[in-house]
Amino acid sequence: MRYGAGPEVLRDVTFVLESGSFTFLTGLSGAGKTTLLKLIYLGEPPSRGLITLFGHDMATARRGDFPAIRRRIGVVFQDFRLLPHLSAFDNVALPLKLAGRHEGDYEHDVEELLSWVGLGDRMHAKPATLSGGEQQRIAIARAVVARPDLLIADEPTGNVDAEIGGRLIRLFGELNRLGTTVLIATHDRALIESGRAKEMRLVDGRLVELRSAGRP
Amino acid sequence: MTRSFGRLVPREKGAAPLDLVIAVMAFLAALALGASMLAARASEGWRAGLADHVTVQILVPEQGDVNTVMANEVEAALVVLRATPGIGHAAPLSDKEMQALVEPWLGKGALVADLPLPRLIDGSIVPGAAVDMSSLAARLKQAAPDAELDDHSHWIARLSTLADSIQWSALGVLVLIAIATASTVAFATRAGLEAQHEMVALLHQMGAHALFIARAFERHYALATLGASLAGASIAATLFALAGGLEFAGIEPVPFLPPIALKLSELAWLVAVPIVATAIAWITARLSVLAAVREIY
Ligand SMILES: Nc1ncnc2c1ncn2[C@@H]1O[C@H](COP(=O)(O)OP(=O)(O)OP(=O)(O)O)[C@@H](O)[C@H]1O
Ligand SMILES: [Mg+2]
Repeated sequence: MRYGAGPEVLRDVTFVLESGSFTFLTGLSGAGKTTLLKLIYLGEPPSRGLITLFGHDMATARRGDFPAIRRRIGVVFQDFRLLPHLSAFDNVALPLKLAGRHEGDYEHDVEELLSWVGLGDRMHAKPATLSGGEQQRIAIARAVVARPDLLIADEPTGNVDAEIGGRLIRLFGELNRLGTTVLIATHDRALIESGRAKEMRLVDGRLVELRSAGRP
Repeated sequence: MTRSFGRLVPREKGAAPLDLVIAVMAFLAALALGASMLAARASEGWRAGLADHVTVQILVPEQGDVNTVMANEVEAALVVLRATPGIGHAAPLSDKEMQALVEPWLGKGALVADLPLPRLIDGSIVPGAAVDMSSLAARLKQAAPDAELDDHSHWIARLSTLADSIQWSALGVLVLIAIATASTVAFATRAGLEAQHEMVALLHQMGAHALFIARAFERHYALATLGASLAGASIAATLFALAGGLEFAGIEPVPFLPPIALKLSELAWLVAVPIVATAIAWITARLSVLAAVREIY
């Protein structure tokens, strides 16, 4: 994978995320973690290589199938990408709205989720009035609220303290137990050591499997 | 869901000046549209008013008893006119009417009554009828040697040219303003969407269909444009209605010019301005969003 005419960021990367697995992706800053995640969540087309998602070969899939596939993936972006004019509640509810659900149906779920990530009292605040860690937790809540089949999180605990971090990892674990495949890019050693999840490391654009284990 | 989805599109900062520009352009477009309808109506009126009349002038004869000769010639000319197919009504102007005609130049009084004035006969042409003017003139000359036929063709030709140029200029101005308004609306919509690119990209990433995203935005921009252009066109319509009211009350806003009041049926045409503006915003928003989404991957 290369951006434009730039150098190749990723090469010879071949792996399979088993359905229901829990994997950490590590690597130095600039190693290409975000790039690899982008390829998986269909944020960027690969310059070469094959990607298969939920049994669809993305090289041959019709464009019309992409939205449905994207809706099965929850993403925590490294830079959050919250909508600034919407409240915390509305940001989190966005995937449910897109899925065609009515506010009456999901109001309770969204409120409960926001309480779980410690934002029960900031539900109607706009992102700009929240701290970095609070914004990050909204981004996480938004990624998990629709119970996606695949959760991709890019540095999801970069801005929170250890206690909140522990809470968040329990949230991911809970989701994983319910059947969601989880892939988390992180530098956070404590997070990685907290369970016995598989770890993949990006070195020089190649993937190195450090640990293949069960669930956290 | 569509209702709550509409709220997703923010009222972007800095939209007020664009709304104002759209309102002003809609106002100008409505004025131009009204003005071109007035120009069309006025020039048609001029043409019709002159074209459906002929005037026969019996000049004061050089010799003989002026009054009897002229009276005889008037009678003879009337006979010819009334026998001509296509001429509806023909009647000589009375002394009173004649005096009223010359009064602005010569003033009132005994002097005028004594002046030898030519006699005028006014004839109306049946609408749609074609009258052979040269044969009529020849027959008139035969019956009444001092008769001169004026079919206004000289005036009609000149007025026609004037009316044509007024109509074409009005149409030209209308087209220019329409183009400017359309570009303004399209530009404002595109500029607004530019600022929303992040949101379009995010919704796309979350798996929203392109048409679905487009619908949320097009509704937003169509409504904003509808409001602004409706305001502008309404002000123009009010001005026309006001002018009509003044004329109705007997006050001429602009003396000597044809009436500047639009008929109700013409006023209704101004509705086209906000409708077209809204449609342009709608289509621009849809095409821009679809193009933006297509570029994202
Ligand atoms: N949009 C882009 N255009 C061009 N080059 C890019 C782009 N995004 C990333 N890169 C380059 O690709 C390489 C990998 O970047 P990437 O963001 O994937 O790293 P990362 O492992 O996520 O780093 P970090 O831990 O700092 O988030 C970097 O050298 C970066 O400069
Ligand atoms: Mg990164």
